[in-house]
Amino acid sequence: MSAVIRIERLLHETIATPYSDLVTRPTGAAVRQRVLDALHEAAGDEAHLDFSAVGLVDFSCADEVVAKLVGQLPDLPVLRLHLSGLREDHAEAIEHALRCHGLAVVAVFVDSPRPRLLGTVPEDWQVVFALLSEMGRAPAPPVAEALAWPLVRARAALDALAAGGCLCAHPDDTFELGAVA
Amino acid sequence: MHVLPVPTYLDDRSLDQLAANLPSWPPEQRLLVDAHATEWASPAGFTALLTLGQALKEIGGPAPRLTLPGADGVASYWAKAGFLQHADDFFELHGKVPRRKAAETSETLLDVTPIRESKDVHEIVGRINERSTQILKRELDLEASVVGGFGQSLSETCQNITEHAGTGGWVAVHVYNFRRRLGRKAVVIAVSDAGIGFRRSLEATQAKRFGDRWSDGLAIETALIHNISRFRDPGRGQGLAGTKRYLARWHGKISIRSGTARVCIPPAWDDEPPMTEGLGWFPGSQVTIVIPARESAS
Repeated sequence: MSAVIRIERLLHETIATPYSDLVTRPTGAAVRQRVLDALHEAAGDEAHLDFSAVGLVDFSCADEVVAKLVGQLPDLPVLRLHLSGLREDHAEAIEHALRCHGLAVVAVFVDSPRPRLLGTVPEDWQVVFALLSEMGRAPAPPVAEALAWPLVRARAALDALAAGGCLCAHPDDTFELGAVA
Repeated sequence: MHVLPVPTYLDDRSLDQLAANLPSWPPEQRLLVDAHATEWASPAGFTALLTLGQALKEIGGPAPRLTLPGADGVASYWAKAGFLQHADDFFELHGKVPRRKAAETSETLLDVTPIRESKDVHEIVGRINERSTQILKRELDLEASVVGGFGQSLSETCQNITEHAGTGGWVAVHVYNFRRRLGRKAVVIAVSDAGIGFRRSLEATQAKRFGDRWSDGLAIETALIHNISRFRDPGRGQGLAGTKRYLARWHGKISIRSGTARVCIPPAWDDEPPMTEGLGWFPGSQVTIVIPARESAS
């Protein structure tokens, strides 16, 4: 199960503004608290932060809302946090903020259904993530085989992506992108 | 009365002449800010003059006099840019004061606007966004993708006031022809505050590293070049970093003046040295951002 959290709605619940821009650090911190409340209320393994109705996102808000939440993932009541409805200018601010903290997140853009990784993403993660988005649910051996990698290399990338909340790791030792795919 | 002549053309660079003529601070005598012979002021000029007036008010000094430009149309332009309505709060205005109110023109993306708290930044970014999209595309031939970064840069620059200055400040955004330096149009964001300045803001966390060398110039360099803020959180100080990255992509320029120094990241079209020290002291901090039109435009 996954919860969808509409960021623009939380923004308007947080401050009285006719605009939909996610700007300033105090606003970002207040919206992050709202998101945390929503995550505690929502049940499920995954949550999507929906940016589709958000205007501008500045670097400070990207840091407060996205980077700090992704950094807190082990303490959150969900296993994975994804972004959706992103535009390129949103992504630029968010990617910048994530890189400052060495974090990564899965994002789906308004103009493409194909999920992307944003932030600090080693090359192996990119390759494995792209492959798994085509293969669907799979264990490590066929991933390694498809890439002609040693199993340990594929396994390390899959585990790291799962640990960062970018993939779903199942008890039967398979991996998939989850509801974002 | 100490007479402070305003340069004929007042912008972020000629502000140095104004600062050089400031008396020791706080001034012992009342100031007469003489703009009678001034023919033009950039957004950086407007916001800096208001900063001076605000700083004098905040130290409880007598309201300075401001002699308005005498040339036809200049004072009227100052009114249209929104300067005079705020100047009236800090200066005793002399000369013919136009009744004209601030008005939207194709050059004025944002008239002179006060920034006191973060909700002001929301209002500024929201107000300017739709208008800037049209003007940046039409006047500067910039792509739609430039506009998002423009808003982000504006927001971050304004937030420097609410996060670090310790008092309010001013912002203005104009489009004008940079004929001499650039040979085409550019959009200019000017943000100025009467606050504590970069050196004091960073002193507690950074001064020790530099010892006796600690100065206004090093403080600005620490923030602008090394992305360090007074907060230790790695996510802080990144607003300026993101703004720099955006400006580098579009051949823009950022310069910051604080206290007695100015540090800039000059693009290829500009000849300003990266750091200028030993300038006349001026209150607070002044940030100027220039985003040029595409080469084929204007």
